[in-house]
Amino acid sequence: MRKLLAVLLATFVASVGAADKVVVQYDCIPNYANWGGVTAEYAKFSGVRVPPDMKGSSAAMAALEAEKANPQADVAYYSGAIGFQAATKGLHDGYRPKNWDKIPDGLKDPDGKWWTVHTAHIAFIVNKDALKGKPVPRSFADLLKPEYKGMVVYPDPTIQGTGFTFVYGINAVLGGGADQKMGFDYLKKLDANILNYAKEDSYNEVLRGEIPIWINADGNGLKMKHVDKGPIEVVIPQEGTIVMPLVMGLVKGAPRADEAKKYLDWLLGEQAQRVMAESFFRPVLPVKLSPTLESQFLPVSAYAKAKVLSLETMASQADRTKQRWLSEVKRQRS
Amino acid sequence: LSTVTAIATPRRRALAHSAVPALLILPLIVVIFALVIWPTVQLAINSGTVSTDFIGGGQSASGWSWQNYRVIITDSLYREALVNSIGLSFLVAVTSIILCLGPAWLLARKAFFGKRLVRALFALPMSFSGIIIGFVAIIMLGRIGFVPQMLAMLVGKDWLSGVAYQFAGLMIAYVYFEIPRATLSLETALAKFNGQLEAAAQVLGAHRWQRWAWVVLPLIWPALLSTFAITFSVSLGSFGVALVVSKRFALLPVELFQQLFGFLNLGLAAAMGIVLMLIAFVVNYSLRTTAEYLAGERA
Repeated sequence: MRKLLAVLLATFVASVGAADKVVVQYDCIPNYANWGGVTAEYAKFSGVRVPPDMKGSSAAMAALEAEKANPQADVAYYSGAIGFQAATKGLHDGYRPKNWDKIPDGLKDPDGKWWTVHTAHIAFIVNKDALKGKPVPRSFADLLKPEYKGMVVYPDPTIQGTGFTFVYGINAVLGGGADQKMGFDYLKKLDANILNYAKEDSYNEVLRGEIPIWINADGNGLKMKHVDKGPIEVVIPQEGTIVMPLVMGLVKGAPRADEAKKYLDWLLGEQAQRVMAESFFRPVLPVKLSPTLESQFLPVSAYAKAKVLSLETMASQADRTKQRWLSEVKRQRS
Repeated sequence: LSTVTAIATPRRRALAHSAVPALLILPLIVVIFALVIWPTVQLAINSGTVSTDFIGGGQSASGWSWQNYRVIITDSLYREALVNSIGLSFLVAVTSIILCLGPAWLLARKAFFGKRLVRALFALPMSFSGIIIGFVAIIMLGRIGFVPQMLAMLVGKDWLSGVAYQFAGLMIAYVYFEIPRATLSLETALAKFNGQLEAAAQVLGAHRWQRWAWVVLPLIWPALLSTFAITFSVSLGSFGVALVVSKRFALLPVELFQQLFGFLNLGLAAAMGIVLMLIAFVVNYSLRTTAEYLAGERA
């Protein structure tokens, strides 16, 4: 009996020990950019677990800042501007992962404080069943129509980087000036149709039809459509859209820095980049895609009017933009 | 060990008699101190730290300040959330008392078949967490909820679709989880109600409604007040339901959550917690005191 107990205890300790190998990634939302699939692939490849983490970009940055003296996370993932801002705040250590040279200039920091892993675009992810016969909106102007009242959701820009990218970038898409007035005027009008500014990921709610129109990364919608086979249409608005690089960085003083570096290297390798592509986020490194997969992406022509915005400018105006959104849009809700 | 000897020695029995109750209550005092007073003090201390950054992180080291409390009152969003929270809790408490008075009366005063089953069913929602109740509300009354889907099938119109996200949905979800609390609290109080007085009124020729208005109601006031106090405080602090269901309606516990996990602004979150606690405490304390006073006056 005692022997049996000893064996059981030993197996338990061994299994805990094996599972103990983790890398902590802030902002690792399983249904965003298929991080669930990517990290599962890494666990298969290396035996290292990267647990899910539901923080959005800004929440991740806030957490890193709060834990500066005693870092808990190893790596972080952000929408480009917020990652840039986090690097500026000195929250990252410089690291140049494998294949670093192959990342195009402008999509990485020369000192390795951040780099892009894949890119996406802001799009309408529309659940056609949930529209109940109403036409699919094709443009930002369409979205203001009263018939979509209570149907539109975008992520709270003070928490999620994707929401921030939209809130900041809409001004440029509509042709506004440096004062951002045109963008904020639009957001204020759009508020009438907003169901909520989601604090959490809304992937499942959109797929199920609880939320008919979600402003989010195009890749998430394409995955819903082609992988989850939902009644989904992904629309790039006629006025244009915003290119959103999604970036990563090594946390300053990361407690498991060695494992973290191996993981970051792997994310820029063939295998990881392929999984990302299969989840419809454009890998930053050239990956040969199957013709079927390539045809499931939206045609290049849809992105003809996509705006590339300076991450540096966005990062420098991030706090001000979020604050303005809080006071002009969220606080004005009836 | 000293207690044991104390009890064993007849000469010190008197002392033992006074020491035993104190010893019995000691764990409670320790628990109250460790789980109520100590965290509250910590919370109060934290509520004085002001975040220097707009979002998260940087906490000032310049001592305790009222700044966070000032923000809750002056910032239109938080003020609205506070007013909404108080208003919603008030409405929920009143509604659940009105709804539960009848069933509680039946459960307390009448014997009927299947009473135990009914009581168990009434208590069921209490075992669900707030987030589960929020999901129940969405599954039943969401945009593609069960009720609108069924109505669409029966009458061809998806009435009540999306009600879960409106104020009505919030009310329904809150009242739903307050029903067991209100019923249990009212039932216990009504069981003690002296039926002879009502019978006397009946003998003297009072109508049913007269008996209710002039005899029963004045007697059960204390029960109503204490039930109100408990349902109001639980609603005020409830967070799970609001997080899932409340879309346009700002509520202070949800804003607190966002400060804590979105902005890492611990100071403001702590101040919000203190404000909610204070309101709940004042309402509870004053209503219970009034209830006891009313009950004492009658006796």
